[in-house]
Amino acid sequence: MNETLKLGLILLLITVISAGVLAVSNNITAERIAEADKIANEQAQKEIVAEADEFRTLDENKLKEIQNANSNILEISEAYSNGTLVGYTIKSVSSGYGGDVVMITGFSLAGKITGMKVLNHSETPGLGANSTKSYFSDSFKNKSVTNELYASKNPSGESEVQALTSATITTNAVLAGVNAAREVFVSKLVN
Amino acid sequence: MKLSKVFYNGLIKDNPIFVQLIGMCSVLAVTTSAVNSVAMGLSVIVVLVGSNLVISLLRNVIPDKIRIPAFVVVIATFVTIIEMFMKAYAPSIYQSLGLFIPLIVVNCIILARAEAFASKNGVVASVVDGLGMGLGYTMALLILGSLREIIGAGSIFGKSLFGPGFQPALIFIMPPGAFILLGILIGIFNNIRRKKASSEI
Amino acid sequence: MEGKVINSSKTDTAVLDNMLIVSSSPHIRSNESVKRIMLDVVIALIPAIIGSVYFFGINALKLILISIASSIFFEATIQKLFKKEITINDYSAVITGILIAFNLPANAPWWIPVIGSAFGIIVVKQFFGGLGSNFMNPALASRAMLLASWPTIMSSFVSPGPDAVTAATPLSIMKYGMADAGASATVAEAGASLPAVKDMFIGNIGGALGETSALLLLIGAAYLIIRKVISWKTPFAYLATTFVMLLVLGVETEHLMYHMLGGGLILGAFYMATDYSSSPVTPMGQLIFGIGAGVLTALIRIKGGFPEGVSYSILLMNVATPLIEKFTSPKVFGEVK
Repeated sequence: MNETLKLGLILLLITVISAGVLAVSNNITAERIAEADKIANEQAQKEIVAEADEFRTLDENKLKEIQNANSNILEISEAYSNGTLVGYTIKSVSSGYGGDVVMITGFSLAGKITGMKVLNHSETPGLGANSTKSYFSDSFKNKSVTNELYASKNPSGESEVQALTSATITTNAVLAGVNAAREVFVSKLVN
Repeated sequence: MKLSKVFYNGLIKDNPIFVQLIGMCSVLAVTTSAVNSVAMGLSVIVVLVGSNLVISLLRNVIPDKIRIPAFVVVIATFVTIIEMFMKAYAPSIYQSLGLFIPLIVVNCIILARAEAFASKNGVVASVVDGLGMGLGYTMALLILGSLREIIGAGSIFGKSLFGPGFQPALIFIMPPGAFILLGILIGIFNNIRRKKASSEI
Repeated sequence: MEGKVINSSKTDTAVLDNMLIVSSSPHIRSNESVKRIMLDVVIALIPAIIGSVYFFGINALKLILISIASSIFFEATIQKLFKKEITINDYSAVITGILIAFNLPANAPWWIPVIGSAFGIIVVKQFFGGLGSNFMNPALASRAMLLASWPTIMSSFVSPGPDAVTAATPLSIMKYGMADAGASATVAEAGASLPAVKDMFIGNIGGALGETSALLLLIGAAYLIIRKVISWKTPFAYLATTFVMLLVLGVETEHLMYHMLGGGLILGAFYMATDYSSSPVTPMGQLIFGIGAGVLTALIRIKGGFPEGVSYSILLMNVATPLIEKFTSPKVFGEVK
């Protein structure tokens, strides 16, 4: 048993020193990491609700209530400009071709979509991956929230957005996510 | 063993990717762009040199029976440190490398060098070996990553090369392209090595 | 008989050329040779070539010629580079060239068949040992590679006629366009209707160069079967299984004909699935190959993400061929274990 004890103690020593070094590293970097995350989130939100200068996450209970009814919804934030509520940003997820597609949609109180951005995806490069390109996300701007959105090759109507060539499944995934957010916005707005 | 020989070994003669064919998973996955390749290569160099250094220092202290768990703890510590600093100071690169940073822990190259070299040689030699192997790995990554980016995306280090009319061959950004290119590169590398070796005789 | 000492430093083909084998008479001379078989396939493909030029115009001819020329060029070049005997006069490169072109839409740019044949000849065929050693059908592997690399170019097909007007193929209409307007009203499918079955048979529909005319392809296939170049087993097993699987998966009966005549099914069943080196040699194996390909094609077309599943099905069965051959090789009696 003596040898096992000795081996165990040496291993313990090594792991304790490791843990100590890691704790120090963590201390040095933790704050910066949290900052960076927050900045990235805010940056995306500013992109899609340009007029807002402040974003506050929606009340926890209300979010839970919404998520219970609609599992695609990940996060909701209220967008404020000079202290007045001007709109909302809703982060949603849906099933794409190669995995989940996460997107964030901005809504104005006037009933228009102010922007859409695909944040995360595993779609095919050159096809579904073009969902992050501006020609696709720009086609969501200024669309009305009254009806469900759909895609076409040459979008012109108030509820038409750009379809991605040869990437029907990705297009439908984004539509599903955005329409889920739209649904929540419309039913929440009534409140 | 001469230090220059140790270094040359890692870089060319026993190149981990082209000759030993270890640590390939990260090579195929990460080389979708030249920037990612360099970032990954540098991370591996730091981890490799660090772990070789520490393991060599402790080589007489770590008992033979528990050397593998001890090596893994040391390697994992270095990888976690790299991960934290990358997340804090280079978040966009952290995002694109994704899962493959923590996977450095199980990268064959690092454990192999710890076992085959650092646990049996002096500190300076181990550091040089880590540098050599790490640079050999990075060189392979850089060549493959640049080729894949040029042919598959028409750019190098993010800078577009051929203008908007160029239609890149997307397959090279995807796994099949990586396998095919890597196979061709291994063939070319070993052909050159063989010719050099036979001409030296 | 005394064994002959073989000088193993020479290549295999050189040794075989010099070996003198003596066996007792009578001997039967056969007309078969690699060249003869390949020429037969080229002849069988000629009706479809003429058809593609008739339907798709000068573009078709251009693509086919470029494809053939590049295939020959790349085979000669890589064989020279690897210091092997140049075998372009066995016509196998010509066939690969034609088949690659047959998988392209008529409006593909000139460099697509060049890159396709480079990949098919150099990587799929020569890297793995040349004629007789390819483990995958080179033309289909090229098509898969081109589709993965330039998906937009490879999936926008034109309808027959002098102007290259992009049109939906019958398969993509059935997959995407029949949904309610708005669900996936992308590309040209929305509102498109299926062409007449007669057109499907003759070939007056949108699609890749060589796959549209069922009639012309079947004429060529009949020639090949009569000449005993290909066996009827694989194609018939393939077609029959596809038909049955489509029924099982719930395809409406009026669509079945479109599935059987549309896409690359006939082209694939008779000309690709029968490639000697990438498909089984045993008769039972050939049937199994056809059945497997049929199941996969139907599954991909109906349940998968693509409107067409023939190329992937055949490629997957190619890879399974060694296994199929292992389990269907005939028992050798009298062997001492």
